[in-house]
Amino acid sequence: MAKRSFQAATWTPTATGDNTAMANTTYMAIESGASTQGLNVIEIYIGGQATASSVNIMQFARTTTVGTTPTALAAPNGDGPLNGLTQALPTVAVTYVAASTGPLRSTSTTAARLNLSLNVFGGIVRWVAAPGEEWGIIGTTSGLSGSTLSAFTGGSVGLIGAHIVYEPL
Amino acid sequence: MSSLKRHEGYLFVDHRASPGLPEDIARKSGYDPKHCGEGALFEAATLTCSHCGCSFVKNPLRTRERAYCQKCDHYICDGCDIQRHKAEYIHLPYKALSEVRLAEVLGSPQELLNSPIILK
Repeated sequence: MAKRSFQAATWTPTATGDNTAMANTTYMAIESGASTQGLNVIEIYIGGQATASSVNIMQFARTTTVGTTPTALAAPNGDGPLNGLTQALPTVAVTYVAASTGPLRSTSTTAARLNLSLNVFGGIVRWVAAPGEEWGIIGTTSGLSGSTLSAFTGGSVGLIGAHIVYEPL
Repeated sequence: MSSLKRHEGYLFVDHRASPGLPEDIARKSGYDPKHCGEGALFEAATLTCSHCGCSFVKNPLRTRERAYCQKCDHYICDGCDIQRHKAEYIHLPYKALSEVRLAEVLGSPQELLNSPIILK
């Protein structure tokens, strides 16, 4: 399938502990659209946009409970194919930044998470997976079916822009 | 013989135009504080565990044996290495687990459910 970019142009995360529902527009959530769908996350980029020194303890982590009734993305946020000729997907991945109840980051010590801390006053973080080594999201099984980019407890937290490049399987 | 370097991802943390991270936050995040301060650039290889799918920063200064699964021909994380040495352990890499999970739902391999590709 074609690679896609899920991006949020400018947003301020809130430092949120594990296993706590995240507040709207303080996270980027990506989930499998069906029990038969898998997603591979290829790249995560975070660019700092704060006008003063702010430490963001950003984490890309697995979700224990996915968000309920996600709100469709609105401009300037978006999710689209990298190739303009890409055909519509039979099942689309669920990407959102707001929901009736936000997703909960896994508290499990054996669940994967990427720690992408940075100072968002001019800082940049980019993580790229090697081919075949992507971050996997699959089906509807709790702990595997979704992941979020959000800020963990601590730091002063400032404005950022971010994108997540992924490929539906 | 191919190198295990082919599995490496890339992490880029650029504070060249930023005040950078305080030492405690840098350590908490698994970075080298020297490379995350003001004006510093941190670049590192990342590895993906073939058993659980997690990614982690490769520590080039590690002197302990790096966990490696011969069945996968792939590095694995320390957590999965502990599991691997348990007596009841059954080898089930992440890709196989994905296929098992999808097969449980679909009941049939994905290739058989997809429409055939007809070449004109």
